[in-house]
Amino acid sequence: MLKTRGEKTFVAAITTLLLLFSFIAIVPLLSVISISFSSKSAVVQNLVSIWPKQFTLDSWSYILDRPDLWKSFFLTLGSTVIGTALALLITALLAYPLSKVEFRWGGVIMVGVVIAMIFKAPIIPYFLTVRGIGLYNNPLVLILPHILNPFNLIIMRSFFKEFPKELEEAAFLEGSGYFRMLFQFVLPLSKAVLATLALFYAVVIWNQFQTPLLFLQNTDWFPLQMKIRQFITDDNIIMPGAASTVDLNYNERTLRSATVIFAMIPIIAVYPFLQRYFVKGAMIGSIKG
Amino acid sequence: MGRVNLQRMKVYWPLYAMAIPGILFLIIFKYIPLAGSVIAFKDYSVFKGFIDSPWVGFKYFHKLFDYPDFVRVFGNTLLLGLLRIVLVFPIPVLLALMINEIRKSALKKGVQTALYIPHFLSWVIVSGIVFDIFSLSGLFNIVLGWFGHEPILAMQDSAYFRPVYVLTSIWRDAGWGTVVYMAAISAIDPQLYESAMMDGASRFKQIRHITFPLLLPTVLVLFLLEIGNFLDLGFDQVFNLLTPMTYSVGDILDTYVYRTGIEQAQYSFATAVGLFQSIIGFILVYIFNRLSKKVSDGGVW
Amino acid sequence: MAINKIGVLALTGALAAAVFTGCSSNNSDNSSASSPPAPGQSVAPKSEEVVDLEVWNGNNGFKPITKDSPLYNFYKEKLGVGVIQPYVEWNGGTNYLNQLNIKIAANEMPDLFLPLQGIEDNLAKNGAIADLTDLLPKYAPNVMQAIPQEVWDVVKANDPTGQGKIYYIPSVLNYGRETGLIRKDWLDKLGLEMPKTQDDYVKVLEAFRDKDPNGNGIKDEIPTGGREQAAWMDQLFAMYGVAMVEGKPDWDIYDGKLTYSAVTPNMKAALEFAAKLYKEGLMDKESLLNNKAKWEGKIDSNLVGNYFHWEESVNERLENINKNKGVKGDYSVLPILEVPGYKGFYTLKKMQTPAWVVKNTKDQTKLMATLKLLNNMYDKNNWNDLYLGVEGMHYTMQDGKATKLPDDKSTQQNLALSPYLNVATADFSINLYKNNTPDDRKWAVDQGIRNITDAQPYFKDIAGDGMPASVYEDYADINNRTLYVEYASKIILGQYPISKFDEFVDKWNKSGGEEVTQRARDWYAKVHK
Repeated sequence: MLKTRGEKTFVAAITTLLLLFSFIAIVPLLSVISISFSSKSAVVQNLVSIWPKQFTLDSWSYILDRPDLWKSFFLTLGSTVIGTALALLITALLAYPLSKVEFRWGGVIMVGVVIAMIFKAPIIPYFLTVRGIGLYNNPLVLILPHILNPFNLIIMRSFFKEFPKELEEAAFLEGSGYFRMLFQFVLPLSKAVLATLALFYAVVIWNQFQTPLLFLQNTDWFPLQMKIRQFITDDNIIMPGAASTVDLNYNERTLRSATVIFAMIPIIAVYPFLQRYFVKGAMIGSIKG
Repeated sequence: MGRVNLQRMKVYWPLYAMAIPGILFLIIFKYIPLAGSVIAFKDYSVFKGFIDSPWVGFKYFHKLFDYPDFVRVFGNTLLLGLLRIVLVFPIPVLLALMINEIRKSALKKGVQTALYIPHFLSWVIVSGIVFDIFSLSGLFNIVLGWFGHEPILAMQDSAYFRPVYVLTSIWRDAGWGTVVYMAAISAIDPQLYESAMMDGASRFKQIRHITFPLLLPTVLVLFLLEIGNFLDLGFDQVFNLLTPMTYSVGDILDTYVYRTGIEQAQYSFATAVGLFQSIIGFILVYIFNRLSKKVSDGGVW
Repeated sequence: MAINKIGVLALTGALAAAVFTGCSSNNSDNSSASSPPAPGQSVAPKSEEVVDLEVWNGNNGFKPITKDSPLYNFYKEKLGVGVIQPYVEWNGGTNYLNQLNIKIAANEMPDLFLPLQGIEDNLAKNGAIADLTDLLPKYAPNVMQAIPQEVWDVVKANDPTGQGKIYYIPSVLNYGRETGLIRKDWLDKLGLEMPKTQDDYVKVLEAFRDKDPNGNGIKDEIPTGGREQAAWMDQLFAMYGVAMVEGKPDWDIYDGKLTYSAVTPNMKAALEFAAKLYKEGLMDKESLLNNKAKWEGKIDSNLVGNYFHWEESVNERLENINKNKGVKGDYSVLPILEVPGYKGFYTLKKMQTPAWVVKNTKDQTKLMATLKLLNNMYDKNNWNDLYLGVEGMHYTMQDGKATKLPDDKSTQQNLALSPYLNVATADFSINLYKNNTPDDRKWAVDQGIRNITDAQPYFKDIAGDGMPASVYEDYADINNRTLYVEYASKIILGQYPISKFDEFVDKWNKSGGEEVTQRARDWYAKVHK
């Protein structure tokens, strides 16, 4: 494939550089991981760098033994899966007409979408509106506010706009309507952008805490990030006669590190599965096939 | 005339039907709450509510412009915004082009995953790591020590704030930013490369003449979206990296409004500043949208 | 197209109006929502009927108090009132305050809650909280008794409506709690006396720096230091008579007038001294970067000779030093050091921020239940029980003695009612330490008890005690001392020469300091007429 020596050097240089970048990207994460496996004493004395010191599983067993963590984990997982699917549907349904010149409202709506992206609603009106449609203390609030993101909508629309016209025209001649076009031709051939946006939506829903902070009072419905915040809020009140924490092997920092890793793993694990939709020529290939 | 419209609707109605759920969402979750922005022109009190709070016109905008350090805060915001556009925004494009050159699929996926991981660390965690790196016993000073240099506490030195801001932005989000570009690259017709290779075009030429031009529309769209948040630099990042010693270069609109508006529950003022940021952002998008329409066929609307 | 645009806009507007008007009628109390008593039925609560109240205050991540939960039942039994407390994230008070405001905007104010950032002023002005002037003596005499009369006088003077009414229950601190603390065992080891003057103190710090008092053979000792925002290094300011609470400058009489201590010559002298210590390596190089965890970590690593914190809780540091390094240290109270020309003191503010306000409601049942709750909560006979909490959750019985269990956020509910923290006395604290400490921890805990007594002579109740946060209204940057912290930090680090201090004073005055000072002096005149 690679013809000249120059090209080989070119690719080798790029590969080396990227490996170096990858290393820089991961190293700080190693320190977070090692803190989660180190004892409070080692962390407090600033002994931990890349490897755990005074290795212990206490931080991990503290968080993993909490039944409410697992409840919250599955709640978050469920809302992420459902929310992402719903979000892709709603986004595609709006992005598709917006990519068509024959859609007369397109111009106005696009301006409206951009405004919705740039302008941020003040917190109290937002609260009152969402509460007004019955989402206060309602677990649906973990999903519904996230099912359309203007930024993602614009990205999907610009991908749809690049869609080969000939293909659609052919389908129209066969008598397909717009709905069939969207679901039978356009979406199946847009896996790369769907995968991208699935990732974007999933990450937002998975990591959310602002919305539940505002709208959920029942701790049973706290998603993972809220639950984690509840675990590790730093205690500033000194209680006379409080029991000693000296013998505990974890502290706020080790717990925080463990929870950060815990919350990251599932969302990172998703990425390699989505990557197969980024394979070059996926779209064209499937047209031919 | 009427018949033509009817004819149109017969064919095109599905497009309008499709759009309805999304439009409803935008109205309920975006536009109705946005209507509450009127409190920027009122002396909003939670007791009086939106209707009964008195109108005060541009009082809160004047308050912003009359702030003794307004020039400093606004200048810092502009400068950091500019650094973001010039130094941070292009990095994901370059990274994506580089990653695309790796042929081994496993290595490619590995690199992508590694680069994308930092995005999942919150700014609180990232800034904790950054403060550690620049502490007396941190990596930065260890390396300085190798060269016989006296230790430097960079986080309390205003000269280092902007570089740290740019580098942390790149470190945390550049890999994540490549995701869209990788999707766009994957949509490029492989036949283009095949015919280019037949013509004897080198790898570098293929990037210059095929990949990059075809990636450009996506870059343009993302640029327009980015410029809309020009004054909105990401509160969490700056707030967590800032110290009183770096206020002079790092205090921005977001941190200012946090301590004077949000922390003190001054909703009208916070809304006024937000409106100011958004209007500037919208104007920028409008200008660049027109420009990009002239240059290429692109543009957001 | 144009019609569509207008149509969408109109629809949006109409919906928005519907949402906001529906929620804006906050002035009328929505007593209709809570079911009104049937005709003929008595409005006064029956004694056996338990009323549930929503109570909000700080929670550091413990479980909420839900109906029929163990803590709910405990409070119901002890205090005769049902207490419900949802989980509200605290986050330095910012999230709490925002959620409280949102609840008020939604017309769902809690029945009894902790106000923050001076919002009680606005609450009172808008008639949202109850006027307690007559209610407390009549229905909650324990509250009146627990708090000294002179404090109530200040509360009345602080009434924002200017009618001299009681709108909030303040928290009170009856003893000085925060002092400089110094490693007495290091002094002994190096054969040094407890410093009395500033010169002594500098010599001690130099010895800490140079003579390896922790005995590990490395010059890693940190003689003294503090935390970011120029906080928690008050020991360096106290000797110059700078009124200061945890690094926040406060108000006292300077030159015969009530003045913000940050803009006094005393502050200038103190900053100059701190800058000198920093330059000579007597202060932690990272003092202005240390957060709580970092600074405590250094103390816990047996590195720090002198720090500023609660004198009674030195045991936390000492026990950790012992665990980390196997050294049983001694943190004693650092006396106020003599500096020629200055009269030093550690700052005491007896009257702390408001602890509780009561919702103004037409629902007599709820109002009476709230007062009953307050009355029983402030009954000192209940304090020990309230402190211990629920058996099996917050404490266990060992050999007939109650022992607190370690904090566990996964199992423990938030002990929301802690009047002993709101009316803190040295006696009650000392008793708690004495009664709740197992023998193996006595060596450390007893030092704290000793320190409480040792420290008291050095405290001064400052003139700004009790000043309401509302004097800072519209001057947020004065309130959160942005300008002060920037200049103080840079002067200490040597990035600014001390002459820059005058520029700071000038800027401070021009950016609202003058106005705030005027308000503060007006308040002072009102209280001390």
